Amino acid sequence: MRRRILSILAYTGAALMLVVAASVPFVLMGVFSKAVADAGLHIDAAYSGGTVARIIDRGGYKIVVYQPVEPRLLERIEPFVQVVFEPVDALPARVSEEIDLDGDGQPDVRVSFSLPADPNAPLRGDVTALNGKYISLTNVTGESFSRMVVRAGKQIVVRVPLNRGSVNR
Amino acid sequence: MASPSSAPARPPAFRSIGRSILLTLPIALWSLLMFTPSFRSGGRALSIGAVLVIVFMTSLFFLMMRTGETYRWRRIFFVALGFLFPVGFIASLIAERGTMSIPISRMVSGDTPFCFMVTPALILPAAFARTIVFPGSILPTASNPHSIAVMIGLWFAFTLVLGKAWCSYACFFGGMDEGFAAFGKRRRLHRFVTKYGSILRLIPWAILLCVVLLSAALFEPFYCMWLCPFKTVTEFPAVRDLETALQFGVFVTLFVGLVVVLPYLTKKRTQCGFFCPFGAFQSLFNKINLFDIRFDREKCFDCGLCQTSCPTVALSKESVREGKTLLNCMKCGACVDACKKDAAVWHLKGTPVAVKPERARLLFLYGAWALATMFGGSILANSIATMVHWLPLK
Repeated sequence: MRRRILSILAYTGAALMLVVAASVPFVLMGVFSKAVADAGLHIDAAYSGGTVARIIDRGGYKIVVYQPVEPRLLERIEPFVQVVFEPVDALPARVSEEIDLDGDGQPDVRVSFSLPADPNAPLRGDVTALNGKYISLTNVTGESFSRMVVRAGKQIVVRVPLNRGSVNR
Repeated sequence: MASPSSAPARPPAFRSIGRSILLTLPIALWSLLMFTPSFRSGGRALSIGAVLVIVFMTSLFFLMMRTGETYRWRRIFFVALGFLFPVGFIASLIAERGTMSIPISRMVSGDTPFCFMVTPALILPAAFARTIVFPGSILPTASNPHSIAVMIGLWFAFTLVLGKAWCSYACFFGGMDEGFAAFGKRRRLHRFVTKYGSILRLIPWAILLCVVLLSAALFEPFYCMWLCPFKTVTEFPAVRDLETALQFGVFVTLFVGLVVVLPYLTKKRTQCGFFCPFGAFQSLFNKINLFDIRFDREKCFDCGLCQTSCPTVALSKESVREGKTLLNCMKCGACVDACKKDAAVWHLKGTPVAVKPERARLLFLYGAWALATMFGGSILANSIATMVHWLPLK
């Protein structure tokens, strides 16, 4: 009797599996994808740049300043602050901006770069630290996750490394 | 050890043509359903790809029904998937960015397509820091439709149905080492693999443990950064310093060693069976899967053919004596097809062993082949479409 019940359960399960397989492209994949999307996860700040601190409006374009990103215990990145210029189309051919990164009303770095006419051409730029909290970068492109001036789609992403010990997060 | 009989127990034609066609009909209809959107909106090249894939997948399933063999026909699909996937993938990378390397700008903009191989490495950072250590995007975007949520959703749905059989019916990498293992007939290093099989099959678990812990400690996808052989034929971090040059060197060495040379020498899927941490992770889902391979002890005479034929050393003498496979069995069907006494059988858990094994095989294959057609089939169709673009057929 037990064997019979087990068999019935097994075949019912196998039939259900076929229903599950048939529903993967129409229902199940979407359900599981939505569950992952709704799980409250976020991409690591080393890739995403972290949380937006404030937005500076420059009329045609805006400068988005992010919160400083500090590496976790064994994470192999330097601490940095991400600054995004967007949209690229609205930027002047030559950008040279003094930016207040920590919100104290004083400029912390000067970011300079020239936009090549060809969007696929490599972008290089300079970051000049205006105080000891930040590290200057000269003629930089995508050197590392903490040091970069790159074009990423419709944005120019700049990452300014911080001197270690200057981050309070 | 008894010597195997020379005459196979299973006759060459297992079912009548009519009955085989009837059993293939659901897969033919499913294939049509899956590829109808390609005809509607995919253009000429994709339509050609879709037609070829429908014919290919349906024919292979028909042959499985007609001959009663699984492994031989599944391998044709799987090797085709393994070798054609890079064709379509690399072509799309070249068209989009002109190179196979991922520049850092694409990583920070979340444009890296998500690969299921990284899934186990995400678990600890996601659980404890709600952070995904992968340079992709969680939701699909115009520039990255293969987002993390979509790919994990797809993987989980597949895993519910297939368990570890993912590695034989869905993985778009495994066909490469299975393909190289199929070249030539002479089996070298056989004694080594047999003697050290019990150790070799533990290596993926050790790598899995290292990858999970190091990814959590370093907050980076350690396997993708340092150990994935398939970076060689897909995409890899752009070489910009000594570290990235070293990474690329490791990828190429692992690919040549584990995917090309060792499979050729051993006739085993060495990357899948002796290295892949995702495969080890996927083995855990065999515990919740309804299907497995069992051995009818009354018919088995310990000839060892099943162990020799297993591409991932998922059988040991002891396990066969217990009538079971090991946890890392990927249900490819090689042992069932190799067994000349029909002692190795497909089995539905909860039912008696060797009672209606063909029913268990059919139930498993319908689910597995439906998903293989949906996922692998669409990859094949896209790759064929890419090649049609290259050929002067316009």
